Amino acid sequence: MATVSLKNIKKTYANGHQAIENLNLDITDGEMLVLVGPSGCGKSTSLRMVAGLETITGGDLYIDEVRVNDLEPSERDIAMVFQNYALYPHMTVFQNMAYGLKNRKVPKDEIQKKVEKAAEILEITNLLHNKPGQLSGGQRQRVAMGRAIVRNPKVFLFDEPLSNLDAKLRVQMRIEIKRLQQEFATTAIYVTHDQVEAMTLADRLVVMNEGNVEQVGPPIELYEKPATQFVAGFLGSPAMNFLDASLNGNRLILSPDVVLELNDPNLPDDAHDLDVVLGIRPEHMEACEETEADFTLSVDMIEPLGADTLLYGYFPGTEALITSEQPGKQQFKRGHRLPLRVDRERCHLFDKATGKRLGS
Amino acid sequence: MHDNAVFSHKVLPFFLLAPQLIITLVFFIWPAGQALYQSFLIEDAFGFSVEFVWFENFIYLLEDPEYWNSVRVTFVFSAMVALVGMILALLLAAMADRVVKGASAYKTLLIWPYAVAPVVAAVLWWLMFNPSMGVLPFWMGAFGYDWNHYVNSGEAMTVVVIASAWKQISYNFLFFLAGLQAIPRSLIEAAAIDGASPFKRFWQIVFPLLSPTAFFLLVVNIVYAFFETFGVIHATTLGGPGSSTKTLVYKVYEDGFVGLDLGGSAAQSVILMIIVITLTVVQFRYVEKKVQY
Amino acid sequence: MVENRPWLTVTRHLVLILGVFIIGFPIWIALVASTNSSSEFVSGLMPLWFGEEGFGNFRRVLSNEERVLGVSVSASWMMWNSFIMAMVIAVGKIVISILSAYAIVYFRFPFRKTCFWLIFLTLMLPVEVRILPTYEVVASLGMLNSYAGLTIPLIASATATFLFRQFFMSVPSSLMEAARIDGAGPFKFFKDILLPLSVNNIAALFVILFIYGWNQYLWPLLITTDEDYYTIVMVIKRLMSAGEGNIPWNIIMTTTILAMLPPVIVVLGMQKLFVKGLIEQEK
Repeated sequence: MATVSLKNIKKTYANGHQAIENLNLDITDGEMLVLVGPSGCGKSTSLRMVAGLETITGGDLYIDEVRVNDLEPSERDIAMVFQNYALYPHMTVFQNMAYGLKNRKVPKDEIQKKVEKAAEILEITNLLHNKPGQLSGGQRQRVAMGRAIVRNPKVFLFDEPLSNLDAKLRVQMRIEIKRLQQEFATTAIYVTHDQVEAMTLADRLVVMNEGNVEQVGPPIELYEKPATQFVAGFLGSPAMNFLDASLNGNRLILSPDVVLELNDPNLPDDAHDLDVVLGIRPEHMEACEETEADFTLSVDMIEPLGADTLLYGYFPGTEALITSEQPGKQQFKRGHRLPLRVDRERCHLFDKATGKRLGS
Repeated sequence: MHDNAVFSHKVLPFFLLAPQLIITLVFFIWPAGQALYQSFLIEDAFGFSVEFVWFENFIYLLEDPEYWNSVRVTFVFSAMVALVGMILALLLAAMADRVVKGASAYKTLLIWPYAVAPVVAAVLWWLMFNPSMGVLPFWMGAFGYDWNHYVNSGEAMTVVVIASAWKQISYNFLFFLAGLQAIPRSLIEAAAIDGASPFKRFWQIVFPLLSPTAFFLLVVNIVYAFFETFGVIHATTLGGPGSSTKTLVYKVYEDGFVGLDLGGSAAQSVILMIIVITLTVVQFRYVEKKVQY
Repeated sequence: MVENRPWLTVTRHLVLILGVFIIGFPIWIALVASTNSSSEFVSGLMPLWFGEEGFGNFRRVLSNEERVLGVSVSASWMMWNSFIMAMVIAVGKIVISILSAYAIVYFRFPFRKTCFWLIFLTLMLPVEVRILPTYEVVASLGMLNSYAGLTIPLIASATATFLFRQFFMSVPSSLMEAARIDGAGPFKFFKDILLPLSVNNIAALFVILFIYGWNQYLWPLLITTDEDYYTIVMVIKRLMSAGEGNIPWNIIMTTTILAMLPPVIVVLGMQKLFVKGLIEQEK
């Protein structure tokens, strides 16, 4: 258990590429912090800097209030679960889990006890004498986690551990990981590019983009009040719809025929013909009568998912593709005219130039 | 692969590299430099008089018909060794590729010549071709052919070529076999469906896909013929009859160790070095493509 | 099999058998010759079947009865020399190369690139290309007529280093990172992780290098004048230049069998590993 603090962390590579500009994060004891973002956003780099596998170009890293910038990975009391498990192929499961303890000169009988206990928790006791090559992906994943928990470190680090598993296994393991982390109450940093994993695992979520932090906060906060257009578009599946619009005070002009009256006291008073982007999630547009509709969507494509159905069409008069999520019970046909009413409470407005959220 | 999976120690790597670097410097680089230096000198065998003569040794060599003879001999020799060694190996590999029964037995029986030293191979074939009681001239005599490789230069060349190629067939066989087995069955099956006969299939589908392996083997075989066959010549023809089998490497040995012409031998070494460098560059550029730095 | 043409299979087997025969015929001749007496080689056709000498020639050659080899040392002694040469070269090359490859792949240090190219250079300098100057260096170091002189100059060429380098680069870097987190420094990582994973490569290389060392001809020829250091491969040629009178073919063939035996045994014994290693090396 420990706190982790990143203060003004910068990372520049030898070839001049600046991966991280200025990272500041404070992770509380026992928290599971998830770093999420597209490839190249810097999440793995940040994790590896905490691990000590990448050097820190500028700034300070603290684990449990101790500055660890110059410490070797093995001196930081951290454990890491790798995307490809990184199990030693020529050693048995037992030896894999024991290796870190062996190097720290832990007495043999203690190693025996710790490994057996960890194996029990992860339900891999019957695999202790097998080699990684004989195990399935899911089993290897458990061994990798076993290797981490057997040392009872201050911080767990996860580097996209579920990416190599099939979809079903991923869901299973996701729940396992969360359960273990909570049981051990160990501080953890988890990196993934999968926003579903991010939403479900995080106590707090950090969305990163091109080396910068877009937003930090509990998942539901990021989902319901995204601070930038990037966060809004990244979280949620199916993704949020974006429409270019013009803002005049509280009037949102989507097109000559479509004007929405918003009721948001926090919108800038002096907004005059301001270029904005309206964000509205597919599930927040209600099918209604034509007379009450804000606009009518001509359905081009239909994806019945069972519980819901996704309908795709172009916003009238534009090339913007809109997704609407409707209850699965209703049947739709191509060309169907779908009148929609936008939920005013669930509108997100972003400044087109800066991408930042406007209003509340 | 992360370029960062390294240890930060700065002195330890030098200790790890030291043995190889020291030996390389003392026994490779230094002598090579010496050869280069000596090639610009004329000195007598006892080192009493040393004269710096720039490229005279090289010019002398390039004007020497003896030298060009060796060049010709070496090229003919290498070409034939490579061709014989590769064609026979390809034939055997093509046959072995599809054989199911006894595949490993054939493999075992065909690869062991790799273990035989070139000089030993030479001695074996020299005996088999012995004009007075060798078994092969005996059979040839039945057709009226009188074999005598002590006198006939073409026959002498034939023996050394066969001895050298015989040994290489196993090496080539292994690589050709591996190359053939790496070709996806589905390609050949598609060709069969398209109506191609086995013969056509081999030449139009298999062979083109085998060409990287073939090219690689060509370079290896030529390097082998150039440099590793000294023993073959030395144990049998001694460069003769006349100079008809005097390869470049053999000439370096003869001129340097026997004739004690240090400058000339050094110049020949330098030219050989240039040839090796060229062949190595070719090999890595077009065949390996893996030496990235 | 795409189609089932029986005549094709028969042809294949025929060609292969012919190939085996061509490959094996010289050995047959050698075996036969070694069991015959020298009188069989004076005239007419050489013997094509085993003679009554049986293993007599082998006994004579191994103990050098009556100086049958034309030198003062026995074949068993020379085989021992060859063995030492082959083992030292094989083991020495492996040790040196694996350490160098380890340094180049897993460390970053000034002049790393220079070191790499220096080692690469040796690929282009086989001993045949620098025989005279290398001889001079060895002589000036007092290493003529010694095991050191027979082996050390041949130990540092680059092929083994490249093989190990290629192999190390194929080991996932996360393995090394996990080991670092587990508290393994460079020595532990090498000993506990890298070395066990390299065992196959080492075994295959050992076969290739043992054969390389055992079959050396030009180099031992140059630097040994003391018969005590002759290798078995060298002495065969000496027998060929017996000069006056008859060439003792039966003795020569006996010696060639002895010279061939250990490498062939090594190749056949480790065939699977060796073939894999040879092919992998050039990938």
